[in-house]
Amino acid sequence: MTISLNYIFKRIILALCVIVGIVVFSYVLILATPGDPAVKWAGNPRGPGATRAVQLAREELGLDKPIYVQVAIFMYNFFTGNLGFSIAYKGLPVVQAIITSFMSTFELTLIAYIISVPIALYLGLYSALKRGGIFDSIIQPASVVLASTPTYWLATLLLLAFTISKISVYGTASPRLIAETEFNTITGSYLLDSILQGNVRVFVDSLLRMIPPALAISVYPIGALTRLVRVLVAESLLEDYVKASIALGVERGIIIRHFVVRSIIPSLVQISGLSFTYSLIDAMVVESIFGRRGLGSLLISALNTADFKIAITLIAFIAIFYIIVNTLVDILQAIIDPRVRL
Amino acid sequence: MIRRSFIILRRSLRKIRFKIGIVISLVAIFLAILAPYIVPRPQEGLGYVPRDVEARRLLPPSIEHIFGTDSLGRDLFSRVIMGTRTALLQVFIVITISFLLGLLLGAIAAYLRGLVEVLLNYFTEIFMAMPTIVIALVLRLTLGHGIHVTISSLIMTWWAWYARIAYVYARGVVELDYVILARLAGLHSLKILHRHIVPNIIQPLIAQAITDLGSVLLEAAAINFLGLGVQPGYPEWGVILYESVFYGGGVEVFTQAPWLIVFPGVFLLLVTLGFSLIGDCLREEIDPRLRRRWRLWF
Repeated sequence: MTISLNYIFKRIILALCVIVGIVVFSYVLILATPGDPAVKWAGNPRGPGATRAVQLAREELGLDKPIYVQVAIFMYNFFTGNLGFSIAYKGLPVVQAIITSFMSTFELTLIAYIISVPIALYLGLYSALKRGGIFDSIIQPASVVLASTPTYWLATLLLLAFTISKISVYGTASPRLIAETEFNTITGSYLLDSILQGNVRVFVDSLLRMIPPALAISVYPIGALTRLVRVLVAESLLEDYVKASIALGVERGIIIRHFVVRSIIPSLVQISGLSFTYSLIDAMVVESIFGRRGLGSLLISALNTADFKIAITLIAFIAIFYIIVNTLVDILQAIIDPRVRL
Repeated sequence: MIRRSFIILRRSLRKIRFKIGIVISLVAIFLAILAPYIVPRPQEGLGYVPRDVEARRLLPPSIEHIFGTDSLGRDLFSRVIMGTRTALLQVFIVITISFLLGLLLGAIAAYLRGLVEVLLNYFTEIFMAMPTIVIALVLRLTLGHGIHVTISSLIMTWWAWYARIAYVYARGVVELDYVILARLAGLHSLKILHRHIVPNIIQPLIAQAITDLGSVLLEAAAINFLGLGVQPGYPEWGVILYESVFYGGGVEVFTQAPWLIVFPGVFLLLVTLGFSLIGDCLREEIDPRLRRRWRLWF
């Protein structure tokens, strides 16, 4: 266990270094791009008061100070969670706007993964066990098609299909239901909030509305993970311990469940973790199609109001989430798979 | 190297998947080059609104307009076919620049060691974590509309993956005896990189680049789809979808005119599929772990 703790410690230190780098970089990105953010922040003013307005904007953004001071201030504010107020979400603190939106996107992606990982595991396992058969020769090309389907296009088609069949899937929850039950979201995650408040109707409604976007998001992980599972299973079938247990007459089901599936779980966890952040970005796009609250709508409103604060904080936030997920996955893998710890 | 590439190509050509991928990609390249001569209305393809807008708004697919028309009366067929050009251009520029940048930085990091290695790896790690779409948002806010936003935001994140792969392979190569001997013999560093390191690491990197073609295409279209890249009216599949989903009146319009979202999406899917099939087959041939023929004994 000592080796394991040492490894975990090392991973965390590394992750912290990268997180500091990410925060510095996301600030530098603003400074390095052409165009004066102060002018944009002041709303491209014209006329006699323009210089004064730009000057005020510059002071407000802290752009009149030396760069290293700006970076230090930004980092201090970032890690203390004090980033001021966003323009896009009228008066809401930036951190709160991002976290509530993030929770909404996160729960959607999570649902998509709860759908896709078991399906991928089953399809991959089955096609590896029947490799060369009809099922396998259908699943193989199908998984390539699934992995290269544009998620946002599929989401649009789904929305189209539901709209034509007069089923309302637009939005996070039905506005009438929210008004009736006086539901109020605190964390941004409708599922979590409605359970905590004991509001079954909103829970069911928001879960049902989540299914079409979640299906659209889950297409990529189903395709990619099925292929991965197929290769991993086929590899592990060639291992000596599998051969030995077949020779010893161990039951087929036990070999598959106890030896084969267990041996692929560490790699499956790692790749799912990596693709989770990728799907989070997908979810942002899909959400904006379905008119759901979340990082996607935050992004669009930041675009419409030229909200730099949201933009840079969002970059840092998602990048840090990526680093944290990666680190957690590595640590988890070390715990599951003793070979990594060595 | 070149002979081995031919062997890999010949082996891949036996697979039906690879053939399909090649055919799709060749058709796409053909369409991209000849687009202005094929389409009936090249001007509308580039975004010009016709004079008789009212009469031609949202016409369903017919012989005159094979894919129908959009909410500004433009011929969708012309727009989609012209979009092939933009799609391939974006993918080509992004992959080429990030490939070269990654190859160079990865090889240099592995060759020079020391502080350079640490710093380059640190930067690689940071850029790998960057969310492309949000970077595109920042670039869109500072640079304004345009294809350069899409391309530069994609390059900013993709180079890091190539740098990582190049670094991992190059680390193995610099330890080899003949590279160490070349160093001892006083061969110029640039020559060592050019003669010994790059030829040894380029093959897996090329395979990766070909596999990535599809993903870059999808991601570029996603950026444009959110309205972060090119302007509405530009011949690009993502932006054609954007116009019909967010711009032209939302759900009401595209339930009336589903062809507006079906055709650009189908093209996007097909070209991505073609690229993925090629990349897939090449990877299977290059990576010996995937090449092994599994016996049916279990």
